Amino acid sequence: MSEGALAQGMSVLGRVPGVAFVLVALIAVFASMSPGFSTAPNLTNILVQSSILLLLALPMTFIIMTEGLDLSIGAVLTLGSVVLAAVALATGSLTVGFIAALAIGLAFGLLNGWLIAWLDIPPFVTTLGTLGVAQGLCLVITDGTSIVGLPSGLQFFYSGYFLGIPFPLVIAAIAYAVMHGILYHTRLGTYVPALGGNREALRHAGVNDRVVLAVIYGIGGLMAGIAALLLTSRISSAHPTAAIGMEFDAIAAVAVGGTQFERGEGWLLGTLLGVITIGVLRNGLNLLAMPSSIQVICVGLLVIVALFFDGMRKAQE
Amino acid sequence: MSQIEAAAPKFKLTVSRDLTDVAYRLLAVALICIALSLVSDAFLTANNLLNVLRQASLVFFMASGLTLVILTGKIDLSIGATVGLSACVAATVIKSTGSPWLGAAAAIGVGSIVGLGNGLMVTKLRIPSFIATYGMLWVAQGATYYYMSGQSVYGFPTGFRALGSGYLFGIPIPIYLMVAFLVIGYFFTKRTTYGQQIYAIGANTVAARLSGIPVNSRLNLVFVLSGAMAGLASLIYLARLNSAEGDIGETLTLPTIAAVVIGGTSLFGGVGSLFGTFIGGLILTLILNGMNLLNLNANWQPLVTGLIVLLAVWLDMKTRSKTDSN
Amino acid sequence: MKKAVLLISMLNVAGFVGPATAADETIAVFTKNQTNPFFESVRVGTANAAKAVGVKLIQYVPIKPDSIPEQTSQVEDAIVKKPNALLFIPVDYKAMVPAIEKVNAAGIPVTGLTDRLAGGQLVSFIGAEDYRLGLETGQSLLKAMGGKGNVVALEGVKGSISNTDRMKGFNDALKEFPNVKLLTTQPANYQRLQALQVMENIMQTHPQIDGVYTANDAMATGAVEAMAAANRKAFVVGINGSQEAIDLIKAGKMHATGSSDPFMQGCLGLLTTVRALRKMPVQKELMVTPVIIDSSNLKQYDVPVASRSCPKLEDVAAK
Repeated sequence: MSEGALAQGMSVLGRVPGVAFVLVALIAVFASMSPGFSTAPNLTNILVQSSILLLLALPMTFIIMTEGLDLSIGAVLTLGSVVLAAVALATGSLTVGFIAALAIGLAFGLLNGWLIAWLDIPPFVTTLGTLGVAQGLCLVITDGTSIVGLPSGLQFFYSGYFLGIPFPLVIAAIAYAVMHGILYHTRLGTYVPALGGNREALRHAGVNDRVVLAVIYGIGGLMAGIAALLLTSRISSAHPTAAIGMEFDAIAAVAVGGTQFERGEGWLLGTLLGVITIGVLRNGLNLLAMPSSIQVICVGLLVIVALFFDGMRKAQE
Repeated sequence: MSQIEAAAPKFKLTVSRDLTDVAYRLLAVALICIALSLVSDAFLTANNLLNVLRQASLVFFMASGLTLVILTGKIDLSIGATVGLSACVAATVIKSTGSPWLGAAAAIGVGSIVGLGNGLMVTKLRIPSFIATYGMLWVAQGATYYYMSGQSVYGFPTGFRALGSGYLFGIPIPIYLMVAFLVIGYFFTKRTTYGQQIYAIGANTVAARLSGIPVNSRLNLVFVLSGAMAGLASLIYLARLNSAEGDIGETLTLPTIAAVVIGGTSLFGGVGSLFGTFIGGLILTLILNGMNLLNLNANWQPLVTGLIVLLAVWLDMKTRSKTDSN
Repeated sequence: MKKAVLLISMLNVAGFVGPATAADETIAVFTKNQTNPFFESVRVGTANAAKAVGVKLIQYVPIKPDSIPEQTSQVEDAIVKKPNALLFIPVDYKAMVPAIEKVNAAGIPVTGLTDRLAGGQLVSFIGAEDYRLGLETGQSLLKAMGGKGNVVALEGVKGSISNTDRMKGFNDALKEFPNVKLLTTQPANYQRLQALQVMENIMQTHPQIDGVYTANDAMATGAVEAMAAANRKAFVVGINGSQEAIDLIKAGKMHATGSSDPFMQGCLGLLTTVRALRKMPVQKELMVTPVIIDSSNLKQYDVPVASRSCPKLEDVAAK
């Protein structure tokens, strides 16, 4: 019995991605070196800061599991924020603005899905193109300036509390639960790894893989729309370059979390760990007052080291 | 010998594809040029065309090395950061030694080392190239920031400056360099075993390995070449702008990838050409040139670029699926 | 005039140590990026002054240049660290308001620097009027052109407050010179390479360009290189007073650069913050007077940032 438990324990340990070890190591280092690090307010601070990235990284996990990629998600988030602000300002209603942001996010997600699934344009190129389009629209709509003067109720969504929990964490937790539910407890979820691992088999089983792909990219756009609410609330304004480049942070978080770029192997919890690891690293380096140039190098090394561990483990198997 | 035979049928196919792809692209360039010359008198002048080619040369040098990487089915996201790091190191070397040759060696050396690092991460550590080079992007960027500590280095010898701003028989020197590398690149990719192996790896890595191609060492080679070309691009940058600062590389990577993609090189590997990349870079340069000549708001530039990327690749998919079914 | 006073006080060698309470005071300094020499000069100024008065500094710089979410996170992290005060240059003067409101709520005093925030509570603001900088740099250019001819303008990042004000200043300068024709205004995003390429393109449609106004020195150098490569000549002006621009003016390749003395902004910003911490009187607003550096006054400003020194803590309020 104990042997079986041990074997089970080992196999669970074997599934733990390199990022978990990195995360534990980072927390140990920062907690011992910086007194402010392991306080409740700071840990909450890290989680709240990570919420927007998590909203992008969750659907990115799905997308990467299908052997896809979404480079446009940061620009779509920014566009969502710009549209939210512009519409809210024009109509005086945050609700209408938020709906518009969701709509524009969903539209871009479905557009990506359509271009990829029906026109067979590779995901990297498709989303590189839509990245340009979304970024261009941001600049054109705002003429490069920030949009301010939004209703003050907006700030609640990033700074407010719900039952004593910071509101962004509530949204992030719901998003995680929903995405977890979709991936592990629905039929759609079973299609996701199959799209990456064995698309032919899926087709033979009579599944319309194009529709599934479109839905997955659509979810990505929708999540970007939700993230737009948090981002806009966080800076009480919309700025045409606010989240440019965040797509790469999201992809890095997914990769660091152990999701493979091939064969449809992925793990949603790993993505959560990846997002938190990036948040912990940045926060800890800030608390240690590390020079910015060293911080830049550390971010790069984190990605390489986490993936290196994964590679080592794979090689052992 | 056997590996050449294995690659040969594939090779013929890519040539015919390349020809049609390139023909379509030349047609597109011609259409853009005709449209621009109709709306602006200044467009179709020898001066402006040389100007466009000179501007395109910088993109070409970055994109040509990247094309080799993409032909093998990999990607190099660190290219802009590599240009930035090479430029800054070369600039300080030129300033402190006064020798452009040492500077050039430094630029290409730094680029090659970064490239080798990328290659080893991909081949030895088995990290996907997208992530490995993304990590390298940050490392190279951080090293550049650390090295420059917020300063800029400027003022290079006139002889070196000629590389970027000089003329020979009325034609800017970077254009000669671009043509030279286009020709060398053509022979390298199309007429050498190395080149054929690169295409073969991109078309089917497993088959390539089985047919005896040393896949890992070829992958290392393309990453090193990509880094070295980034180093060369950084020299052109220095010679043209006479100055280096930490943020050079920030905005260069995505347009470079866009140039390769618009040029018809497939991100799946195995299909594409350097000449296509040259045209891709030319199209991107023409967009900015046209917008400036017409006094259009440059805010539209990313949007137009995005649409052209989508259009170019969509047309490729259409024409290729036709050639394949024939 | 103010400038002259500052210069005299610069001669006082740094190392004048303030009251002994200093050792445990920590000030968090926020700048926009680690690539623009302007902010490096600001940081050198703050470090220089901090050494003189004996306070500890933490420099926060976003790792992605000018990133709004990142500076927001850094502010949140700084609140955890509880420095005694913040000296703050916002990456965006509107979008960073909520972050500063959080600092206000945490009871940490904030001194504004360089770009004026659109909201939040500031102990004091130290900066330069970008409008005046644009106006006077523009006037210098248009006068050099003899009040006639064709001028081209290269803009910085659209929507940034520095660019908006510098362009407004320039356009007002233009109104004083009715015989100067503005050919075109194009954005080059404060970047050298973009300025070079945009200038090369503009030269194709405009055979006669007599003056080029750029909203920072990096773009000015790009424009200078573009003109030189085409064997054309024009008066080029920039803004920031960078060493590179000063060297170009010395070489006769550039006409002038408007300077808001980032080093001095750093000094004054830090010293004002310290004064407020030590309950010494501070001015609500302290503006560094713009200086137009051209061949006539070049020598005075051709001093490397590292060998300059800050005014004394006691002298700051007198300005």
